[in-house]
Amino acid sequence: MIDSPYWNPKNETMPREELKRLQLFKLKRLIEWAYERVPFHRRRFDAAGFQPDQLKSLDDLRRIPTMTRDDWVTAQTEKPLWGDLIATEPRNAIRYHLTSGSTGRQPLRALDSTKDWEWISEMWSYGSWGFGVRPDDVVYFAFGYGSFIGFWGAHYACEKIGALVVPGGAQTTERRIEQILELGVTTVYSTPTYALRLWQEAVEMGIDLAKSKVERVIVSGEPAGSIPAMKRQLEHGWGAKCGDTAGMTEIGTIFTFECSEQPGGTHIIEDHMYEEVMNPASGEPAPYGELGERVVTSFGRGFIPLIRYRSGDIVMRVPHNTCKCGRTSDIYDGGIRGRWDDMKLIRGTNVYPRAVESIIREYDSIDEFQIYVWRDENNIRDEITVRIELKPDQQAEWEEVRERLGKDLAAAHEGLRFNLELMPQGSLPRYELKAKRLVDARPQAGGLQG
Amino acid sequence: MPRKETDLLGHDLSDNEEQLRAVYRELKQLAQRSDLPPCAARGVRKALACMWQVVNDLDLEFEQLYDVGV
Repeated sequence: MIDSPYWNPKNETMPREELKRLQLFKLKRLIEWAYERVPFHRRRFDAAGFQPDQLKSLDDLRRIPTMTRDDWVTAQTEKPLWGDLIATEPRNAIRYHLTSGSTGRQPLRALDSTKDWEWISEMWSYGSWGFGVRPDDVVYFAFGYGSFIGFWGAHYACEKIGALVVPGGAQTTERRIEQILELGVTTVYSTPTYALRLWQEAVEMGIDLAKSKVERVIVSGEPAGSIPAMKRQLEHGWGAKCGDTAGMTEIGTIFTFECSEQPGGTHIIEDHMYEEVMNPASGEPAPYGELGERVVTSFGRGFIPLIRYRSGDIVMRVPHNTCKCGRTSDIYDGGIRGRWDDMKLIRGTNVYPRAVESIIREYDSIDEFQIYVWRDENNIRDEITVRIELKPDQQAEWEEVRERLGKDLAAAHEGLRFNLELMPQGSLPRYELKAKRLVDARPQAGGLQG
Repeated sequence: MPRKETDLLGHDLSDNEEQLRAVYRELKQLAQRSDLPPCAARGVRKALACMWQVVNDLDLEFEQLYDVGV
């Protein structure tokens, strides 16, 4: 095996013109496949007056309407279990997964075959190898291995790489920390929130994880992985490099990863996806350096082809040469910056939970927090409260934190006043998978939002 | 002189790439046979899935394999 910083040197360093030719080739095949085998897509293409042979350039892809999560849900609701989304018989699948359901919405169901799982783990291999995982590593998965797809693909990727894999499974945080130490773990996979919790619990156990053998913490599942202050806390606490990745159940795996050069963003796996960034209001492409919504077409999972899927993710795409690693794939600066549908309008000001979190994470004394949106007793005025738990030995810092944090949050939100509330230690929820730190308690027709 | 095989972008294949693609095609043929015992039939499919990813990564093939149960 050649020594390479790239999992797939041929494609990861391919000139961009070649990369675009490859994407067009794969797109044509995928569109033909979907039109021939998937009634859902054939219907959409026909309604738009689009035929597969009209795809002559990458720009032609925009002749196909975007699809949404609601389209997927509707198809599966109208025709349980799989809708008319699947390209082959369910008996060709070897695995069933579904979305986490963390938003309270109806989960999406997905099926994959043997080769689909090779692809799912392959995308994680790009990211894991790219952040330095090698055959000599001992890799720990702080993950419950349920029907949420989570880190399943990363587990198989690390086995493919040849590392020693330790499935954390259903154990206490304390026991996981003990295993990490006793097995000489070098790489930990976790959500950013849970990586922080592991570290905090280790501190309470009198253990300094910075003195362990852990060299890298690879995170996924939440936008927080690219928040500089969060990353700084994790790197300091673990004494290890922290690398961000982002994925989605709709494709079964990650689509972007941070390389070991840590350029402040994540590389898009462009030889296996075609990613557009779209102005969500106009539907027009967003140029480099402008915020927009990720729209993904995946060349991987052929069981349920995903074509022009509006992810809801907020991203800012920048050119590949922003990073010096030599990869020619473009970068999402700052990773996934949140979700368009997470935005809350409070007294005329847009509030994004990730933006609030990025300010809160600057305060080392804060242990946990929750953003609580509510309406006053007259049902007129919207309010926002940040509930905060301080670390046990930092309680005396509250007055200073309250004053400074209040100013920082207001300054970043057009002067909007945030209420700050000190909560008793251990009263706020803790998370292992996707953290849900926003509660919208304003009266709505459908009950509590968030 | 026999025509050199190319990848999906029209580039000549290296010796390694030729061998890898040949293995993939051999496995695909094996997966279509119906006279293999379960241990071989399923093992071939697993191996084929692995090689499918290799030829996919190296831009040697890009196709679906559901019709042979992979």
